[in-house]
Amino acid sequence: MTEKIPLDTKIDSTPELAAPSVSPSLQVRLETLRRWLVQAGALLALLLLSLYLSFATPHFLTPSNIANVARQTAVTAILAVGQTMVILSAGIDLSVAAIAGLSASVSAVLMTSQVTVLGLAIGPLPFVWGVLVALAVGMLAGFLNGLIITKGRIPDFIATLGMLGVYRGIALLVTGGLPVPSHLTATELKGYLPEALIWLGAGDILGFPVPGLIALIIVGLGWFILRYTAFGRSIYAVGGNREAARISGINIHRTKILVYTFSGLMAAIAGLVLTGRLNSANALMGEGEELRSIAATVIGGTNLFGGEGSVLGTLIGAMIMGVLGNGLNLLNVSAFWQRVIQGLVIILVVVLDQWRRRRFGS
Amino acid sequence: MKQERRLLLLMEKIDKRFPGVHALDHVDFDLYEGEVHVLLGENGAGKSTLMKILSGSLPRDSGRIFIRNHEMQEIAHMSPEHAQALGIGMVYQELSLVPTLSVAENIFLGRLPRNRFGLIDWKRVHGDAKASLNTLGIDLDTHAITGSLSVAEQQLTEIARVLASQPRILVLDEPTSALSDTERTRLFEIIRRLREKGVGIIYISHRLAEVPLIGDRVTVLRDGQKIGTFPTSEVTEDQLIQMVVGRKLTEQYPKHGVEKGEVLLRVENLSVPGKLENISFEVYAGEILGVFGLMGAGQNELARALFGLEPAYTGRIYIRERLTPIRNSEGAIRVGIGLIPRDRREGLIPMLSIPPNITLGQVSQYSPHRVLSLQKEKQVAQRYIKELRIQPPILDRPVLYLSGGNQQKVVLARWLYGDTQILVLDDPTRGIDVGAKAEVFSIMDSLSRRGIGIVFISSEMQELLAMADRILVLRRGRIASIFQRGEVDQEDLLRSAS
Repeated sequence: MTEKIPLDTKIDSTPELAAPSVSPSLQVRLETLRRWLVQAGALLALLLLSLYLSFATPHFLTPSNIANVARQTAVTAILAVGQTMVILSAGIDLSVAAIAGLSASVSAVLMTSQVTVLGLAIGPLPFVWGVLVALAVGMLAGFLNGLIITKGRIPDFIATLGMLGVYRGIALLVTGGLPVPSHLTATELKGYLPEALIWLGAGDILGFPVPGLIALIIVGLGWFILRYTAFGRSIYAVGGNREAARISGINIHRTKILVYTFSGLMAAIAGLVLTGRLNSANALMGEGEELRSIAATVIGGTNLFGGEGSVLGTLIGAMIMGVLGNGLNLLNVSAFWQRVIQGLVIILVVVLDQWRRRRFGS
Repeated sequence: MKQERRLLLLMEKIDKRFPGVHALDHVDFDLYEGEVHVLLGENGAGKSTLMKILSGSLPRDSGRIFIRNHEMQEIAHMSPEHAQALGIGMVYQELSLVPTLSVAENIFLGRLPRNRFGLIDWKRVHGDAKASLNTLGIDLDTHAITGSLSVAEQQLTEIARVLASQPRILVLDEPTSALSDTERTRLFEIIRRLREKGVGIIYISHRLAEVPLIGDRVTVLRDGQKIGTFPTSEVTEDQLIQMVVGRKLTEQYPKHGVEKGEVLLRVENLSVPGKLENISFEVYAGEILGVFGLMGAGQNELARALFGLEPAYTGRIYIRERLTPIRNSEGAIRVGIGLIPRDRREGLIPMLSIPPNITLGQVSQYSPHRVLSLQKEKQVAQRYIKELRIQPPILDRPVLYLSGGNQQKVVLARWLYGDTQILVLDDPTRGIDVGAKAEVFSIMDSLSRRGIGIVFISSEMQELLAMADRILVLRRGRIASIFQRGEVDQEDLLRSAS
């Protein structure tokens, strides 16, 4: 045992057997092409859609409209980054929009008024503290989701569906059901939201909207985590094959709790951006965004059963949804029809995606 | 063979390509009434593809299929429903039972008998199910939930299901891989009985020793090509191995004597409620400790317990003579234990490629924020791909597409990379072909020469007798005996185990 003995398989192989029918380098190249085709499908759909719109309406390819699309897509994209990680780990998070509403409401209340908690007078908080409170609330809510799912052994769907109600309810209690700051409560003196927060949602840098930049940074962060960190790897492992992940020593509970905490953090950021854009927070803000984030994830090619997909695809998915909504507005399609069309597009994209996978997969 | 036997099935020049692979290259195959035709070949040789084309679950690119339906007729388009109507019954290696339904419901799935009101006739369902199980000589509660049965019992249920549809052509894809010897003997009796009734049977197996026992003719496939068809009485096992593998195996069971080192693992009074009772043994550095038992004797639980997957165990586990409680797999890996699980699908993340699958055992030990070096990971993978001859050596393709033997090597590589000191192998050669088996054994041998202690669980006595230094026999969760190498034969093992 002191000397290292080489592993030799002790079997003489004839070259006839070793040579595969296709040369390895060609096989690798075909493989690359196949992968590209599988992954680039959503991108292709986005390009075609944009191409069509740029011909169909002169307003689509204007700088102000592009900035507008970026602003509208940002919230969905930020939520969808967290959602993608959850779905990759074979979970689903229905509470993201509720967490966004809750964390934004709590922080908006604390930034605009003085509140007495356990005999301590808090607020109005400055911008940085308000942001930290929102992030903490979001992470705590996500952590609770993870805890309920793992330690309580509750299916992800049920747990986050239940907590969706809980978080929305708490947000309503915190805000009294009114927007913050509110112009209706004339009797109380309420302050305004900090300028910096409004800049987060509505400002721009050299003409590029800040929310879009935040979304891009977050997509980059998500991409890095998934590709280069041990955490990212364990997300793929847990979602790809839970049993095998366990046998490889992955701490499944820790991974899932971290994933939901991360998703809560993303929700809080999205909530802040949305608050800035609307210049006010309210308990019910972003309703329906949880489903849009799931749709963006799936359109982006992430397998709804976990283990397969990427944040870059999700960004494209979110952009397809954003461009589509914007284009329908520009084309003067009625809001009612827009919902019908958006629903059908989600199905269509996924159908095409599955067909492409069957055709070019394996 | 009698001369008046009629042709049942003729497959002519069947050709099938998958992207990058010529899965079947103009393969001919035929089957007579009352015949057992064995189909041999390594994983990926094309056996399953051929059978899937026969059953209509895969379309063929070209070639013709004729099936006797009173007279031989050509079947232009085969579909699963069509195949069933023509009397083709398939027992797949991968079980196709619904785990949440009862045994009886599974046996009659899709054709539950009805009473005159059109409602399901439960009395008949269970009565008929019981009867069809009895003809197989199986004693099972027809109300039992299928998922709660052992793999062997599920396999027998599956066979009962297919037989209940009274097929004229029966395909058995590795039916014995999960069966104990008694169950296998019983299955062979059933096969002989069916053969006498004129049923044509296609029998796929990796166990070469079964070929002369059960087969009339044998066809060998290799890399999608037919090597030949022979009466089983005219070929020897060695000739078959050579045809299957395409080369001469210098040694099927490479085994060097290794001097025992220190005690790596000592187990005292290990018990898992209802599964294992008072198991005590030790494993030395460089030793291969074989573990034998009939199906369900506790081998699987022993493997799991050593790897921390049975946290409710009682007793003491010492690693290098230090008392080490092992309550989860993380803990097991930390003290240098590795596990090759019984089911290969439990070992791999199918959608990930080879490099992350190899490093996963180590990555799982990192703290979550640790940054990985994908470049280094690739180098590691390349090293093991070369050392273990993993084919094809493509780095960015999901391991899903690897053959069984190569998947097994990836799992092995994971533990080699992790500097594992004690390796638990739970039936590592189950369902992999002769060539890959010999490679797994030679890897085991080199590992033991490196001073790794190996716990080698197997249902194949031949393998154990050839590879193990000592053999521990389990019987109903207890140790029945521990034999030294060379002092036992198969009969002793069986007697001790039953």
